[in-house]
Amino acid sequence: MNPILTLESVSANYGPFNAIFDVSFSVNPGEAVALLGANGVGKTSVARVASGLITPSSGKTIVDGVDITGARPHRFVQAGVAHAVEGRSVFASLTVEENLRLSFQRVFGRSGVPTAIEKAFSEFPALERRRDQLAGKLSGGEQRMLSLARVLVEAPKLLIADELSLGLAPVIVKKIYDQLARLRANGTALLIVEQQVGHALKLCERAIILEHGRIVWAGPSNQATERLAMRFTEK
Amino acid sequence: MSGILLDVRNIGKNFDAIAALSEVSVQVEAGERIGIIGPNGAGKTTFFNCVLGVLTPDTGTVYLASEDISQFPVHERARRGIGRTFQRIELFSGSTVRDHLLIAERIRRGTGNLWRDLTGRGKPRIEEIEACDHVLDLLGLGELANRPIEQLSLGQGRLVEVGRALMTQPKVLLLDEPSSGLDHQETADLAETLLEVQASSNFSIILVEHDVELVASFTDRCYVLDFGRLIASGATQEVLTNPVVREAYLGENIS
Amino acid sequence: MLFASSVAEDFLRGILQGLPPGAVYGLIAVGFVLAYKTSGVFNLAFGAQAYISAALFFHARNEWQWNVVVAFTFAVFLVAPAIGLILERLIFRHLPPGSALAKLVIAIGLSVALPHLFELLIGFEPVGGRTPEGLLPNGGGVFYDPFGVYPLSRNELTALVVAVIATALLTALFRFSAIGLQMRAAVESPRMTELNGIRADRVAAFSWALSSTFAGLAGVLMAPRFNTLAAPDYFNLIIVAITAAAFGRLMSLPRALVGGFGLGILIAQVDTFLPRFSANNSWVKAIEDNVTPAMPFIALFLLVAFWPPLRANKDQVDPLSGVDPPPQLPVAVVRTRFMTNLTHSVGVGFLSVVGFVVMTRADKSWVFLVTQAAIISLILLSITVLTGLGGMISLSQGSFAAIGAFTVFQLADRTGMSTVLAAVIGALVAAAVSGLLAIPLVRLGGMWVPIATLAFASFFDAVVVKLPFVGGGDKALIEGTRIPRPVIGPWNLTNDKTFLVFVVLILIVVSAGVIAIRSGTLGRSLAALRGSEVASQSIGVSPVRPRVIAFVISGFIAGLGGALLGMQQENVNYAGNFTPYATLFWLVLVVTLGSRTVEGAIQGGVGFSLFDRIIFRGDLFGWILRDPDRVPGFFPVSAKWRFVLFGLSTIGFAKHPEGLVESGKRKSHERMERRRARREARKSLEGASS
Repeated sequence: MNPILTLESVSANYGPFNAIFDVSFSVNPGEAVALLGANGVGKTSVARVASGLITPSSGKTIVDGVDITGARPHRFVQAGVAHAVEGRSVFASLTVEENLRLSFQRVFGRSGVPTAIEKAFSEFPALERRRDQLAGKLSGGEQRMLSLARVLVEAPKLLIADELSLGLAPVIVKKIYDQLARLRANGTALLIVEQQVGHALKLCERAIILEHGRIVWAGPSNQATERLAMRFTEK
Repeated sequence: MSGILLDVRNIGKNFDAIAALSEVSVQVEAGERIGIIGPNGAGKTTFFNCVLGVLTPDTGTVYLASEDISQFPVHERARRGIGRTFQRIELFSGSTVRDHLLIAERIRRGTGNLWRDLTGRGKPRIEEIEACDHVLDLLGLGELANRPIEQLSLGQGRLVEVGRALMTQPKVLLLDEPSSGLDHQETADLAETLLEVQASSNFSIILVEHDVELVASFTDRCYVLDFGRLIASGATQEVLTNPVVREAYLGENIS
Repeated sequence: MLFASSVAEDFLRGILQGLPPGAVYGLIAVGFVLAYKTSGVFNLAFGAQAYISAALFFHARNEWQWNVVVAFTFAVFLVAPAIGLILERLIFRHLPPGSALAKLVIAIGLSVALPHLFELLIGFEPVGGRTPEGLLPNGGGVFYDPFGVYPLSRNELTALVVAVIATALLTALFRFSAIGLQMRAAVESPRMTELNGIRADRVAAFSWALSSTFAGLAGVLMAPRFNTLAAPDYFNLIIVAITAAAFGRLMSLPRALVGGFGLGILIAQVDTFLPRFSANNSWVKAIEDNVTPAMPFIALFLLVAFWPPLRANKDQVDPLSGVDPPPQLPVAVVRTRFMTNLTHSVGVGFLSVVGFVVMTRADKSWVFLVTQAAIISLILLSITVLTGLGGMISLSQGSFAAIGAFTVFQLADRTGMSTVLAAVIGALVAAAVSGLLAIPLVRLGGMWVPIATLAFASFFDAVVVKLPFVGGGDKALIEGTRIPRPVIGPWNLTNDKTFLVFVVLILIVVSAGVIAIRSGTLGRSLAALRGSEVASQSIGVSPVRPRVIAFVISGFIAGLGGALLGMQQENVNYAGNFTPYATLFWLVLVVTLGSRTVEGAIQGGVGFSLFDRIIFRGDLFGWILRDPDRVPGFFPVSAKWRFVLFGLSTIGFAKHPEGLVESGKRKSHERMERRRARREARKSLEGASS
């Protein structure tokens, strides 16, 4: 079986802090991989290359066995890669319901939209109360919930989750990781980019550590803590 | 009455029909470090905005050193001694690191004399540059002084924000999630730097934070907000072990 | 009783009379909102697009004798969307979302360039006296009068019906169709739209084709209202339409239509019921005669300045804007001190040579042009202060300059005061007006400042200039608005070369002032406010004061420049120098060449004044051939090309938002750096081998 996503010696030259060099790894179906590392080592750039937002300067991006290096993000989405971006990942000028409808129209067709929306709301009852509110007015936690609600219903082959816990209270981070675990149980592979490693390592079986834009370590996640601790003692 | 520096009384603020803050009162003594925690949407940033005047609260008063500053616009409050950093860093694109501090120093000295500008004597003077470089050195940014802001990492950007706020010689410094986006090491470094600076210039700090470890180690007292209301306050260690707080904030079930 | 019924009848007539123009306003307002909603562009070129379709339809009918249906289909459903698609593909696609000001400037450039380009390509000349025809046969000749108080023509009814139906269809499109939602999403963030699996580029192209088709439709339908088809009229209608659109907070299509009708009816009612205070007092009469058509400008200014809901309309920031690499730094920051000094010396040397040649060899017309270039540079510096340092766009710099010129005219005419002193007073008056205007506006941010200042400029143009104590009234019609040149001590400025020296000295002083301000407290405060308003406030920078001061300084410079321009031409010459439509071009010049630097303004002034003579009239060519008589026959090229060229240079601006001068500097800097790197590599190689 093909891996869902393979990066083959990908380099991207992007601003003074986000460059990545010769990054290779793959994510298999149903697998959960954590991408870890300090600030500014290029984690987000890797995530962006993996969803087509950045075109790498060299190397290949292979999704589900097909080389689509350089294609636009919508091709990645159609191939089954969903990307929950860092920070706000919903349309602030659309209502909660419109945010869901926008994406569901493509996946389920016009007639499938109402059922899909109801399904999303049954997963996240808090969102239903806000269905006609502008998504920009939601709190940070609710915005993450909204982007997860969409992904949960569409069940993509791979979800790239970039810093989902950033700026959220522990109680909400916990809820979000519960949802990610359910998504995984339904068969979606996960690539989790995180600064706060605790939750991510619990959920994922493999971890990749980046330093200065290069992969410096990859292995089972229960050994990653040791490797990460090393970095701090070195300092 | 003696030691209270910032006295926020009964602040209430509604957005549309939703109460973002109701009857929140917070007192800060000179030189004290206090924390404010609570889930997202609990009203922490709204509280900061009301204290600094970015938002006008529906009810309540803000006193700074016994002076009612509720009616003042943001920049007047800033000049009276409220400094602030931002959750999503707010820097001046196209400027260097030192420029950020220089403008704050200029405003503090109140030398916005247009005639000086027009006659070309408005260029930074040596003592102004030295004052900036002193703070930059304190924060460990000395070598980056002439770097354009776009070339800094997030952690360094947060330090620049702190430096910029320090140049105004604040009486109270409001820190809005300074650890957000930083890793453990960077957070620890930032906390250490803040403690050093505070020790040398003696101002109060209000910290809004999700990193419980940082709150526990950094603050003396702390307040807990949930749905715009204060649900607990007191010495930080006690508050963080309070079962109500643990459930509302950390999501722990107490059964 | 009789009285009451006649008032009621007047009122009803006012409503009916207001409906046809109201339909036209509504139609463009709806199109304008459509463009804003679906492409995020405050499309001031909408009028230009409408004009092109209207003129094309007119031309096809009259010159090419095409059938109505064919001509209509061609002009509205083929050419109009094609223009939209080309604009999207060539220009707007390259702009990051959220750069509302850049888009506004480009739209302004296009609103100047497109009509001229069209006229040059088709060979279309606005012809007076031939009223454009409507769609239906004899549309202007058949009338319907349902209530017996006011007859509506067939053309007017067509426009009415089409406006209502089109608005209903578009509203339905947004409410019920997938593409409606996708267009709104793509405006906020094309990248996030892509992450929802939607091709954002196709959506954007569709948006542009749709709103441009609408522009064409509106253009053709409203053409019969004009005696002559002319681009400036269509531009003025856009301002009226913005007022109607503002009623719908720029978001609601039906409300924009209602706003249009409301405005039409308001104007008709004011026209009917405006009391006549005085037929004798000339300035009261001037207001009474001109205020009615200026109603929309007044309404627009008041709405923008004092209607809070409009201010809530803030552009959403694209959450994925971080995907773009960070902006590059100004070359002046990165290059070495030696290079900076070298460039400065070369510049000063070049200007000295030019100055020497002009002073010793040039004939009268050249001295005139060079003087004009210096004065226009001075006026453009007012834009450098406001836009380059303050990040604000004002479209009323022409009015401020005119205030300066008119003040000199009035003072010289009435008191015989020295025009040098009068020029200073004029600049101060312009500065005061500019500052007062700024106070309610500067906190609005974004595109509202340009819109409100455009409303002010239009009001100034429509009413203030007509006042006898400003524009001179009837007397000026006969005698002109003359301004004598002054004599200062031994220097008689009626001598053109002396006057040139005088102007250049002022330009040098003002340039030095602008440079000093940039590095002083004011410049730094403005830079901070531009970077982050809330962070600037948090360190004690007032969000109002520095901006108002920038407006005052800018108004002063513009007023001084206007006064000098009047002195040079020895006449205010308002219609030729200072109308809102003509002065739009100033902003385009400064922003495309570089608004941050003094060089940008000076090159703009030089380009504006000398390009025509040097390039288009073939003088350069003649000089190269050493024989003016051997210049090829296609010279002189039409001066319209100047507008087209500079207008289209906004395309370059889309790719180099820092301005063409700056991007040129960067290129040469990078070239030098590469050369140096090569040299050093070679040296180290030689060092290794020896």
